[in-house]
Amino acid sequence: MACKIMSDGVDISVDFAGIRLANPVFTASGTCGYADELSDFMDVGALGGFITKSITPKARKGNAPPRTVETDSGMLNAIGLANVGVEKFIEEKLPIIRSRFENTAVFVNVAGATIREYVTVVEKLAGEQGIAGFELNISCPNVAKGGITFGTEPRQVAEITSDVKKAAGEKVLIVKLSPSVTDISVIARAAVDAGADALSLINTFAAMVVDIESRSPVLANRTGGLSGPAIRPIAVYLVNKVYREVAESREIPILGIGGIRTASDAIEFIIAGATAVGIGTANFIEPDCAVKVIEGIRRYCAGKNISDIKDLVGSLQDRQSSS
Amino acid sequence: MAENDSQERRGSYIAKVHSNRRIGSGFYKLLLEFTDSGSEAFGGCRPGQFGQLDLSGAALPPSGAIREDLQDSANRGVLLRRPFSFSDVTFKGIETFVEILYSAVGPSTLRMTTVKSGDSMSVIGPLGKGFEIPEGKKMALLVVGGMGAGPLEHLAKVLTEDYPTMQVVAFAGAKTSESLPFERRLDEISSGLGFSLAEFAEFGIESYVATDDGSAGYEGLVTDCFSEWLGKTDVKAEEAIIYCCGPEAMLSKMAEIAAERKIDCQVSMERLMACGIGVCQSCVVECRGEGPGETVYKLCCEDGPVFDSKEVVFGV
Repeated sequence: MACKIMSDGVDISVDFAGIRLANPVFTASGTCGYADELSDFMDVGALGGFITKSITPKARKGNAPPRTVETDSGMLNAIGLANVGVEKFIEEKLPIIRSRFENTAVFVNVAGATIREYVTVVEKLAGEQGIAGFELNISCPNVAKGGITFGTEPRQVAEITSDVKKAAGEKVLIVKLSPSVTDISVIARAAVDAGADALSLINTFAAMVVDIESRSPVLANRTGGLSGPAIRPIAVYLVNKVYREVAESREIPILGIGGIRTASDAIEFIIAGATAVGIGTANFIEPDCAVKVIEGIRRYCAGKNISDIKDLVGSLQDRQSSS
Repeated sequence: MAENDSQERRGSYIAKVHSNRRIGSGFYKLLLEFTDSGSEAFGGCRPGQFGQLDLSGAALPPSGAIREDLQDSANRGVLLRRPFSFSDVTFKGIETFVEILYSAVGPSTLRMTTVKSGDSMSVIGPLGKGFEIPEGKKMALLVVGGMGAGPLEHLAKVLTEDYPTMQVVAFAGAKTSESLPFERRLDEISSGLGFSLAEFAEFGIESYVATDDGSAGYEGLVTDCFSEWLGKTDVKAEEAIIYCCGPEAMLSKMAEIAAERKIDCQVSMERLMACGIGVCQSCVVECRGEGPGETVYKLCCEDGPVFDSKEVVFGV
């Protein structure tokens, strides 16, 4: 893929598990549809990476409404992996995705109720053109079976990662981690040991909002995943933890996700150890926010005389002791 | 009208607030001015379509001016945009004026009351599918429940301007006369059931009012008021169409009445939305599927908010 060095002399391209990305900015799964939806608002082809919403073997209707509710500086969602299913995805959505993206790395987010279901989806897509790899969703808090149940126990994480990696063939495998665990590094290590090429973190936090009039949960699913600016400092902390404890020494790239709206938010994640960043909830509010983040990262680098963004990754310094 | 002509021009625009005024007891009308490409996009939008307003940056009213029941709301932050349909759209070439009818019910609409002439407002739109006017219809019956008045006022104008031979009758219901979201009522110029509303009278449209407590017009539900009227009026089912916007229980009842009388009926649905542009999948409406008993979820923001009443599986 084209390495874009603009007139300002700043190189913001990154190597993400062997894939050259024009810039480190992704749109996160479930917040950018199948690409067409955001294209009225921005040139989606300018993205470094794009992650589809979760794909399962069969189409899923998803949960009953209400499926989302706003909270302070965030929102809960319990969509329930509503999607067209892998067959229809290949038939109807993939051609659109191929036509929209030339220089953007496309990842298909994969989910299922059993390991077999994850493998089925990946096997069907492994030979398809226009897909750089997969993001393994073992961290969805909103389904009864599968999802997060595979992402909280290291042996399960290892088993599913290794089976899906075999099915993925040459394509890159990202494992998406849940923050709702005792020690995220244990899970990260299990995924990396089992063959994960990259890690994305974090998925949403399981959460609940109560309607005090009816004394019942607002969401039909009772609980939902908390996302948005409210979770950003936790995500930055967890990215840094995984970077220091697992990813740096193993040279595994991290896709940092959690409440990113602006370039400064994205740069925090990169300094903390993320090679790339994913924009999620902010797409709902400002559908062209990803391109603004890309421009802002470039401006920051130019202003700080950082000629190569790779120098910024994991560059977190210890605080100077203050007098 | 062409199918979704303005949805192709949907985008993110900055409007200028032209005015924001209080009407009646607790209602407001915000008038936005779009210019250039925004004028073109919104000028072509049809009744029932909507826009997503970013109210996160608007200031709260002074704490003394906040109603007691909204004091808690005042402490909530606003992150997401809020969807609003339009009560009037006036295209004037290089500028388009878009009017929004609203009331203060939560953290965003509370902030909305403080925006003033000259302020900027970020609006994504026009979004969704509006009301359709099928060929061969000679009578349009508009049925409003409470805050549902907005898009039907816009529809009344379009019907009057573009379908001059269409006979239009409006019905509006609310809990009390105070909760009718209209600026003023004319006295009983229409014989029979109730008052006439200036918002419809200006287009020569006869209107009926119903209130639950009988404080204005017909005492009872607007759906009963409508049924009684229908029983007394010579309506050719195939030539008539019902348009409704209001609480889901009212829409459900209207769908029933329409099905009994075999009159076409379009309902404007409301759902909690995050994005409004078909990405977040929040705003699903349960609709009949192909097989018997089979249902599918359609998106209120993209497949709606206006649906054929036969299509919707109502939740109430």
